Amino acid sequence: MRGFSLKYVIKRFISAVFTLWIALTINFLLPRCMGGDPAEYLASQSAMGSLEYAELMKQQFGLDKSIFEQYILYLKELLHGNLGVSYMNFPTPVKDIILEAIPWTLLIVITSILISFALAWFLGTLSALKKGSFFDNAVVGTSFYIQSIPYFWVGMLIVMAFGYYLEWFPMGHAQDAAVTGGFLAQAGDIAYHAFLPVLSMVIVSLAGRMIMMRSNILQVFSEDYIVLAQAKGLKKGKILTKYALRNALLPSFTGLMLSLGQAVGGAIATELVFSYPGIGLTTMNAILSHDYPLIQGCFAIIAVSVVTLNFLADLIYPLIDPRVSLS
Amino acid sequence: MKKEKKQKSDSYLVLEKYLLKNTKAKIGIGIIVFFTLVAVFAPVIAPYEATQMDFVPWEAPSSEHWLGVNSYGQDIFSQVVYGTRVTISVGILAGLLTSFIGIFVGLLAGYKGGKTGEILMRIVDVFLVIPTLAFMIILAAFLPSMGIVNLIIIIGALNWLWMARSIRSQTLSEARREYVDAAKAQGMGTIEIMFKEILPNIIPVVTANMVMVVTQAMLTEATLSFLGLGDPSLISWGQMLSVSFDNNAILYNAWYWMLPPGFCIATLGFSFMLIGNSFLDIYANDRGGAVSL
Repeated sequence: MRGFSLKYVIKRFISAVFTLWIALTINFLLPRCMGGDPAEYLASQSAMGSLEYAELMKQQFGLDKSIFEQYILYLKELLHGNLGVSYMNFPTPVKDIILEAIPWTLLIVITSILISFALAWFLGTLSALKKGSFFDNAVVGTSFYIQSIPYFWVGMLIVMAFGYYLEWFPMGHAQDAAVTGGFLAQAGDIAYHAFLPVLSMVIVSLAGRMIMMRSNILQVFSEDYIVLAQAKGLKKGKILTKYALRNALLPSFTGLMLSLGQAVGGAIATELVFSYPGIGLTTMNAILSHDYPLIQGCFAIIAVSVVTLNFLADLIYPLIDPRVSLS
Repeated sequence: MKKEKKQKSDSYLVLEKYLLKNTKAKIGIGIIVFFTLVAVFAPVIAPYEATQMDFVPWEAPSSEHWLGVNSYGQDIFSQVVYGTRVTISVGILAGLLTSFIGIFVGLLAGYKGGKTGEILMRIVDVFLVIPTLAFMIILAAFLPSMGIVNLIIIIGALNWLWMARSIRSQTLSEARREYVDAAKAQGMGTIEIMFKEILPNIIPVVTANMVMVVTQAMLTEATLSFLGLGDPSLISWGQMLSVSFDNNAILYNAWYWMLPPGFCIATLGFSFMLIGNSFLDIYANDRGGAVSL
C-alpha cells in the first residue's frame, strides 16, 4: 500500500487509546467528584428496598477498597466488557441493554451521515460553480439559517408534518411489532420507521457540510494547477472531475471524522423526539430513573464507538491522500 | 498625542470596513438589538405574567392571546417575550466564558509554541473526539442540581475547543510578522505581546469566533433544556419547547406553541452567525487567503 507507514498507524493507535483512556477516566471520576459517590447512591437505593442490588453494587465497585484500587477494578471490568448491572431493569447487565440499543443508533447516524455528505458534495459543488448566482445565494443563506436551528426542533416539525398531519410515516419507534413475515418485510418496516429520524438529521447536518464543501471547491479553483488547466484549454467539466473534485473532497473527509461526535450528540435529541430505541433514548431514560451504572455504561460506549470510528477514518485517510502519512 | 490620533483614525477605518459598510453585519446587529430590547422591556411588552395560569388550556391564537395558550393555561406570547431574557443571557454569558478560555489557550498555544503549545493542542485534540453533548449530559446528570449558573458554566467551559484551534492557527501566522519581533526587541513579555500586540491584530477572527460561540451556547442551552437537563424553574425558549413536547403539543395540533420559540432561537442564532461570517470574509480578503474557523 502506497504511503501507508507502520509508524503512522501506531501513532494514530496510541492517540486513540489515549483519548479513550481520558474519556473512561472522566467517566470513572465524575460520579465520585460530584459529591454523590456510589456509596451514596447505594444508601438511597437500599432505602428504596433493594438490598440485593446494594450488595451487587458493592461487589461491582469494590467500594470498601481505596479509590485507586476501585479505578483499577473499573478498568479491568471494562476490558472484560463488564459495565455493571442496571438498576432500572434489575438484574439485566448494562451490557445487554446497550448491545440492544447501539445498532439502532448506528443505523440512523451512519445512514444520515452518508446521505448528508453525498448531498453536501453535490449541492456544494453546484453552488461553488455558480458562485454569486441566485441559486448560490439561496443555498448559502438557507444553510446559515438551518445551522442555527436545534436538531430536536427540526425533528418535532417533521413529526408534526409527516407523522401527524400527512400520516405518511410513523410518529416514532423503530419497528412495528405487528409486522412479521420475511426478512424483506421487516427490513422495509425498519427503513420506514428510520426515514423521519434520518431525514431530520440530514437536514440539520447538511447545512454546515455544504458550506464547507463550497468553500473547499472555491479554494481549489483559485490554485495554480487549476489555472494552468484552464490555460491549457481543458473543459470546465473535465477540470472539475479530474482535478478539483478530488482535492476538494479530501478536507471534507477530515470533516467527516470530526463530525462523528457531533452526529452522536444530534442523535441523542433526535432519538428522544422519535422515541427511537437507540443509545440516546436509553441514556435519557437512565437519567430519568437515576440508573447510574447505565448512564456510565452509555457514555463509555458512546466514547468507545466515536474513538473507534475516528481511528478507522484515520486509517482510511492516507489511502485517499498519500501525503498524510508522509507528514 | 500624535500617535493616539493616528490610532483613532485607524480604528475608525476598521470600524467602517467591518460595520458601517457591512450590510450582513448591520442586519445581524439589527436583529440582536431587537431581541435585546424585547428582553429589557419584557414586562412592558408581555401582556401577562409568564407564569400566570389563568386561561383556558390549549386555546388557539386569538386577539387576546396572540400565540394562544399552553396546556397549563399560560399565555404563550408572554412566555416567548420573557424567554428572550434567559436565552440571551445564557448565550452571552456562556459565550463569554468560552471566549476567555478559547482566546487564552489559542494565543498561548500559537505564540508560545514549543512544548506548551504542543501539549495544549494535544489536549484539545483529545477532547475534540469526545462528543461534547454526551459529556455535558452525563455532567448534568451527576450534578446534584441544575441551576442557571451550572448551566452557564457547563456550556461555557466545554465549548472552547474549536475556538482555541482557530485562534491558535491565526496566532501562528501572526507570530511571524515584523511587529512581533519589534515588540520582542523592546523587551515586552510573553503575556504582554499576546494580549497587547497579537490580539488586537486578530480581533476580527476573535470577534467572529465569539459571536458564533454565542449561537452555539444558545443551541446547547435549548438542547439541554429539551432533554430535561436545564433549569425547570426558568422560562427559556428551549424550556418552552421541552414542555410543549412533553405535553404532547403535536397531538393537540398546538403549532402555535412549538413554532415561535424555535423560530426565535433560529433567527437570533442566525444573526450572530451572519455577523461572524461577514467578519471572516472581510478579514480573509485583507490577508489574501481563506480563514476558516
